[in-house]
Amino acid sequence: MTKNRTALLLLIGGLCLPATARAAGANPRTAPAVVAAAEKEGQLTVYATTDQVVAGPLVKDFQSLYPKVKVEYNDMNSTEVYNRFVSEAAAGSGSGDLLWSSSMDLQVKLAKEGYAAEYKSPELDQIPAWANWKGLAFGTTYEPIVFVYNKRLLKEEEAPKSHAEMTKLLQTQKDRFKGKVTAYDPERSGVGFLLITQDAKVDPAFDAAAKAYGAVGVKLYTSIGAMLERIQSGEHILGFNIFSSYAAAKQKKDSSLGISFPKDYLLVMSRVAILPKVGKHPNAGKLFLDYLLSARGQEIVAHQAGLGSVRNDVTGEGTAVATNKAFGTAVKPIPVDESLLEYLDQARRLEFLNRWQKALGTK
Amino acid sequence: MARRIPWARLSVVLVSAVAIALPLVIVIYQAFLDAPFFQPSAKLSLSAFRFVFADEDFHRAVWTNLILAFGMTAIAVPVGSAMAFLMVRTDLPGRSWLEPVIVIPVFVSPMVLGFGYIVAMGPVGFLTLWWQQHLGPIPWDIYSLKSLVVLAGLTHVPMVYLYTSSALRSLASDLEEAALTAGAGTARVALTISLPMVWPAILSSGVLTLFLGFELFGLPLVLGDPQGLLVLPTYLFKLTNKLGVPSYQLMAVVAVVIIAIAFPLVWLQRKLMGATSRFVSVKGKGQASRPLPLGRWRWPATGLMVLWFIPTIAVPLAGVFLRSVVSSWGEGVNLTEVLTLDHFKELFEYPNVVRGIVNTIVLAVVGGGIAVACYAAIGLAAHRWQSRWAKVLDYLVMVPRGMPGLIAGLAFLWVFLFVKPLAPLRPTLFSLWLAYSVVWLAYGMRMVSAALLQVGPELEEAAASAGASSGRIIRDVTLPLVRFGLVGAWLLIFCIFAREYSTGVYLLGPGTEVIGSLIVSLWGSGALDVVAALSVVNILLVAVGMGVALRLGVRLHG
Repeated sequence: MTKNRTALLLLIGGLCLPATARAAGANPRTAPAVVAAAEKEGQLTVYATTDQVVAGPLVKDFQSLYPKVKVEYNDMNSTEVYNRFVSEAAAGSGSGDLLWSSSMDLQVKLAKEGYAAEYKSPELDQIPAWANWKGLAFGTTYEPIVFVYNKRLLKEEEAPKSHAEMTKLLQTQKDRFKGKVTAYDPERSGVGFLLITQDAKVDPAFDAAAKAYGAVGVKLYTSIGAMLERIQSGEHILGFNIFSSYAAAKQKKDSSLGISFPKDYLLVMSRVAILPKVGKHPNAGKLFLDYLLSARGQEIVAHQAGLGSVRNDVTGEGTAVATNKAFGTAVKPIPVDESLLEYLDQARRLEFLNRWQKALGTK
Repeated sequence: MARRIPWARLSVVLVSAVAIALPLVIVIYQAFLDAPFFQPSAKLSLSAFRFVFADEDFHRAVWTNLILAFGMTAIAVPVGSAMAFLMVRTDLPGRSWLEPVIVIPVFVSPMVLGFGYIVAMGPVGFLTLWWQQHLGPIPWDIYSLKSLVVLAGLTHVPMVYLYTSSALRSLASDLEEAALTAGAGTARVALTISLPMVWPAILSSGVLTLFLGFELFGLPLVLGDPQGLLVLPTYLFKLTNKLGVPSYQLMAVVAVVIIAIAFPLVWLQRKLMGATSRFVSVKGKGQASRPLPLGRWRWPATGLMVLWFIPTIAVPLAGVFLRSVVSSWGEGVNLTEVLTLDHFKELFEYPNVVRGIVNTIVLAVVGGGIAVACYAAIGLAAHRWQSRWAKVLDYLVMVPRGMPGLIAGLAFLWVFLFVKPLAPLRPTLFSLWLAYSVVWLAYGMRMVSAALLQVGPELEEAAASAGASSGRIIRDVTLPLVRFGLVGAWLLIFCIFAREYSTGVYLLGPGTEVIGSLIVSLWGSGALDVVAALSVVNILLVAVGMGVALRLGVRLHG
C-alpha cells in the first residue's frame, strides 16, 4: 500500500469515528518500540476458534489502527488449532503468532509446556487476576454459561432460574422432559468436559443434578450448532451449559429462543490467548494481544462481537462489570490456571467420565 | 516384443508409490508409538493397540460398522446396477435429464444431507409433523441404525451407478441384440447378458461401497449424534477428545484397523473377478448400441426411479432448501411467517465465501482434470503389463481409501511439514490437490481401469504389429477407446472434489479455503442457517457445472 493511500484511509477512519454513536474506548498502550517493531514485521498470523464473521469487527478495527500490519486470520476448531500448532512447532516451520482458543485447558497446557512467550502487556492492570496466568496465557472474553429453552414449549416463568430449579423441574415433570433436554457430550467434546467438571467442582448438588439429567435421558451432542438448532425446532425443550454468546447471536435471528442465567452459580468461560515462541512475528502478536485486551478492543469484543468484555473498566450490556453487578458472588469465572490441567491426566479424566456416566445411569 | 526395462511404467509406479506411502508410513509408524512421532520422548510401544482393543466403545463401533457397511452395500449394489442398466441400455423415459439428478448425492456433503433429513424427517421435521397430523404416528426413527443403513445405502447408489453405467456405455450391443432376436425379453437380456458382462465394474463398485461403509463419517456423525451411535470413523473422532489431548497414536491405531479391513477386501475382489480377460467386451467390430425396448415395463421402471429419488434426493434437499429460507422451524412454527432471505445475504458478509467458491471450482475442474490424467497414467502403466509390479500397483492404489479423510488430512500436513522440499508448497492449493488426489485414488483408478479392461487386446496388438510404438498405441488406440470412461471419471472426481470436506481441514489457510471446509467450520460454531444457504449455493454451483460437463460429454458421444 502506498503512503498516500494509507494516509487517506487514516483520514477516512478519523472522520468516521466521531460519527458513530458509541464512544470508542482508549487505544491500546503498547510500547512505541513494540509498535515500530510490529510494523516492521508487517504481518500477523492468528489461529483462532472464533468465527471470522464474529471476529471481523475486531480485525477491521485493528487494521484501521495499524494498517502496516497485515492480519492473516485463520479460523478452525479447537482441536485443529492445537494439532496444527504442535505439528508446526515440532517441524520448526513457524506457526501462528497468536493462538486464540475457547479450549482453555489446551491453551494453558501449551503455555505450561513452554510453548508460550511471556509478555507483560500494559493492559493487564485492568484485567482480573483470574484471567492472567503468569503473563503466559490470557483470558480475553467473558462468556456466561447459561440455560437455553424454546419459548413456544416452555413459558418464561417456567424456565429454571438456577441449577437447583433445573434439577427440581426435571424431577417433577419427568415425562414432559423425557428426551427433551440437551447438553454437550463431555466424552466427545472438550468444552463439554471442561464445563461439566466445573459444575462438579462448584455445585454441591452435582450428583443429584446429573441423576435428574439421566432420568430424563439427556441428549448429548458434539456441537453447539446441533444443540441450538434442535432447541429452536422444538425437538428439545431445554439445554444447559451453553455459551451465552452463541445463544444470544441465535436469539437475534430467532425470537423463539429463551436464555436464562442461573442465579445460584453462573460459570463464565473466557477465550484464552497465548503468544507462541515459534511465531515469526512476535511483536505483531504482542500488538494484537494488547489491542484485544485494550479498552478499545474490549468495547468491540462486548458490543460488536458479542463475546463479553473481561475488563474492569468497560461497561454496558455483556460486560464483566454488568454481570458482576447483577449476579454478585454467584459469578464463577473459570480461572485461567493450572487447575485446568487436572483432567488432562488420562486416568483422572476416565475416572470422572465414569462418575458422570454412573450418575446419569448410562453405565 | 523385445524384453526391455519399461522405464516409463516403472517411474509411474515409483511416483505413485511415494505419494501414497509417505502419509501411510507416518500413520502406521505413529500407531506403534506411545506419543506423537515428532516428540523426542516417543518410544516404540503397543500401548495404543492395547488401549483401543480393550475399549468397549471400539467393540461397539466395529460391530455397528459391519452392519452398516454390509447393509448399505446390499442396498446400493442391486439398486445402482439396475438403474445403470435402465438408464444406459433401455428406452426409459426421461433418461437425458435423469442422469445429472442421479448423481446429486455424490456432490452434496453427507453432513448436509444428514442435516436435511433432520429438518424433513426428524422428530419435529416438516414431513414428520405433516404425517402425524394426517396419518398418525410415524413409522420411522431417523436416528436409529436401521435408518442410517437405509439412507447410507440409498445415497451410495450413485457410486455403483457411475461405475456400472460407464462400463455399460462402452459395451458393444451385438450380444444383446442377438439375444433379443432369439426371443429373450429385456429383463432376461439384462440379467443374463448385459449385467454379467460388466460384472467387474459391479463387483468393484460393491467392494468400494463396502470400503466407503468403513470410512463413512458425515452421516453417522449427524444422524448418530443423539443416540451416541458409533462407527469406526466417529469412534476415531471421539478419541480426539476422550483423553482431553488429541492422541495421535490411538487415532492411528483405528486408521490401521480400517486399512487392515480394507486389504482382505481387495484380495477378495481379485479372487472374485478371476481372470480379467473374461470381461473384454469392446472388440474391434464394436458398433453403436441401440436401446432395448422396455415395453410394458416402461412405467414400473420409471416408478422404481421415483421410489429411489424421493427419499434419497427430494426429501433431504427439500429440508436443506427449506432451512435456508426460514429463520425458525419445527413444532408450532407457521413456516409462512418465518420466511426470509437473510441467510443468503449474511453469506456474503463472509469475506472468505467468494474466495472459497472460486477455489472450489478451480480445484474441482482443473484439479479434478489433472487428477484423472494422473490416474489414467497409472492405469496405462499397469495396462497389460504382465509383471509383479502391476500387481503391487493394483493393491497400492486401494490403500489410501482405508484412511479416513481426517487422518489423511493430518498425515498430509505432516508430510508437508516434515518433508522439507515440499514445505514451500503447503500454503498453496497444490497441497490440497495432492491430498484430495491421493485420498480419492481408489475411486478414480477403478473407473479408469474398468474402462481399460474392456479394450480388446487385439486392437492394441494390431497396432503393435503394424509397427506402432507403445506410446503411439496408447495415444491412437487405447486412449480414444476409453475416452468416455475418462470423461465419466472426471465428472465423478469433479463432484467429489467439490464436496470434499474432511481431508483439507489441516491444509487450509487464508486464500486456499474451499466450500466444504467452510461448511464444517460454520457447523461447529452453530450457524446452521448459513450452512444451509451455503449448501444451496454449493448444490446449484455443482449442478451448473454438471450440466455443462454433461452437455460436452453428450456431444462427445455423437
